Amino acid sequence: MSEKIQGNIALEGISVGKIIKVEQSLKQYLASYTAGNSDEELAKLEEGIDTLSAEIDASVEAMREAGHDEEADIMEAHSFLLMDPLFTDAANDKTKEMGNAPAAVLAAANETAEVLANMDDEYMHERSQDIRDVGKRLARVIMGVKGIEIGKEPVILCGHEVEPSVIANVPDDKLAGVIMGQGSTTCHAVIIAKSRAITTIVGLEEKIKDIPDGVTALLDGNAGLVIVDPTPIELKEYEAKLEAQREEMQRFEQIRDLPAETTDGAKVQLTANIGLPKDAETAAKYGNQGVGLFRSEFLFMGRDKIPSEELQYENYKKAIIACKGELCVIRTMDIGGDKPLPYLNIPPEDNPFLGYRAIRICLERPEIFMPQLRAILRAGVYGKAAIMMPMIISVEEVKKARSMFERAMQELEAEGKEYAKDVQLGIMVETPAAAVMTPILAKYVDFFSIGTNDLVQYTLAVDRINPQVSGLYNHFHPAVLQLIQRTIKAGCDNGKWVGMCGEMASDPYAAVLLMAMGISELSMSAPSIPRVKEKIRSVSLKEAKEHLAKVMELETGAEVRDYLQANL
Amino acid sequence: MQELNLTVLNKVGLHARPAKELVKFSRSIKSKVTVEYNGKSADIKSMMAVMALGAKQNAEVNVKIEGPDEAEVAQSLTDMFANGFGFTDEL
Repeated sequence: MSEKIQGNIALEGISVGKIIKVEQSLKQYLASYTAGNSDEELAKLEEGIDTLSAEIDASVEAMREAGHDEEADIMEAHSFLLMDPLFTDAANDKTKEMGNAPAAVLAAANETAEVLANMDDEYMHERSQDIRDVGKRLARVIMGVKGIEIGKEPVILCGHEVEPSVIANVPDDKLAGVIMGQGSTTCHAVIIAKSRAITTIVGLEEKIKDIPDGVTALLDGNAGLVIVDPTPIELKEYEAKLEAQREEMQRFEQIRDLPAETTDGAKVQLTANIGLPKDAETAAKYGNQGVGLFRSEFLFMGRDKIPSEELQYENYKKAIIACKGELCVIRTMDIGGDKPLPYLNIPPEDNPFLGYRAIRICLERPEIFMPQLRAILRAGVYGKAAIMMPMIISVEEVKKARSMFERAMQELEAEGKEYAKDVQLGIMVETPAAAVMTPILAKYVDFFSIGTNDLVQYTLAVDRINPQVSGLYNHFHPAVLQLIQRTIKAGCDNGKWVGMCGEMASDPYAAVLLMAMGISELSMSAPSIPRVKEKIRSVSLKEAKEHLAKVMELETGAEVRDYLQANL
Repeated sequence: MQELNLTVLNKVGLHARPAKELVKFSRSIKSKVTVEYNGKSADIKSMMAVMALGAKQNAEVNVKIEGPDEAEVAQSLTDMFANGFGFTDEL
């Protein structure tokens, strides 16, 4: 009898393999490790470093030959960290102190990682994950723990965290998937898995422990589902799905470089939502035309002080360059009390989503907002940039933000620093207040981008994470559609462009409706682009407008959905 | 011992790639090389320590070289700094 476990999608795909549990073994080995005398432990440390260093160098070379450059770069950084006196000296000292080389290595790695994590330098910051990984790997080598044994069958690596080096060392044809208990989709393990297009599911939490070692599992990465010990019928069903997926990929490949255009020639810009600058590069394989939402939160998370202007500038520049002359819309900090950051210093709130967050913080705290505005203005010279402000509810906010934006330009001018004078300033329309106010707000902004995830939640008063009410969440609810139509009309009437960057933009049926309303840009996770484009290319704007007229007469969200599915 | 005052010409300063070049170089020589900047000092064997100096473009750093091959090492380092560690696009 099979068992299904639900996690979160990190990388889509379908695959089957044998479960190999990683991680917990390290603790077991450490518990049963017998240390020698101090000299013996020091000798083991030295020997371990030599062995691991040779191992890494060999694998870097192999990865370069196989064309896995991104992976090779990460592993090469590991080699430098392993040999760095800052780490080796700490490992030596700890070994003398603790009399146990593998335990000392783990402690030294943690200590070094903390130092790196506190540096105000993105590169060093990222290395703190790497040094922990190096420590674990070195501890294994010292204890003589063999790497993962790969047989004939492809494997699925399974652990609370799976170290990047463990993934890196399984050859392509033997690696079916990666599943993790932890929930981050931006950790190095996921980045490596993505660069190799390996089906990855995260966020399985405690349930990861119940998955037995050595059992066969089926990963439905499209649904974030792990099926342990699948039945022959399930395996067959998934084979059919896999085949359908291959066919779809081929179709999408054919339209990748074609415009998102209706049969009667109306065009819409399809752009990508990204969380890291390098996502802008990977989006290109889905045929995006720029970035409609660059979430700047990653720069603000996991640090104990405000990210510097320089650090932000470097990251925005990278994303803007990757947009190759198309617009890159950068959203300003969208964080509040739900994510406690020491420098924000927000007292606990009963309802952080209606609390002190995002633009509300930025307008009151220039030391947070100004470096971000300045960094985007400066990075703008490398292409086309736009600034988008979240959580706006009023004209006052936009006026105040604009005056800060102008002050940032004056400062840069006075300092003789290079900056782009054509950076657009716009807002996310994600509160019902903003949507209602768009005819007036339009005078003060360069564009609107409709953030449907929050707009739907706030309009319908539905928390879609809450399973008891999530069924009420529907972006086709007539109230939502009216607010969206109002926003688009207000933009068009005032000569301002209107886009959408919420999940609704990736719904092909919604896309057709939005085009009929006059939207000019749809921003979504890059893999959704081909599906939306395919739908748009199959209809005419004339038909779309006829459907829109009928849809706006309907009385419920369910009716709208049924109508679109039956008629498009 | 030899002492040199060198200017960082790279656009990125003594960041990841130049620091890696210094580590690689340190493995090919016998002398001990320390770079000092802004009250901090770093053995060039340590990429992390070199980067932690925070030496940006146009920073003047003080370099101390001690060992049997210090004359050659001084010459090589002068060249490496002068040509921006071989990253011409970053000069």
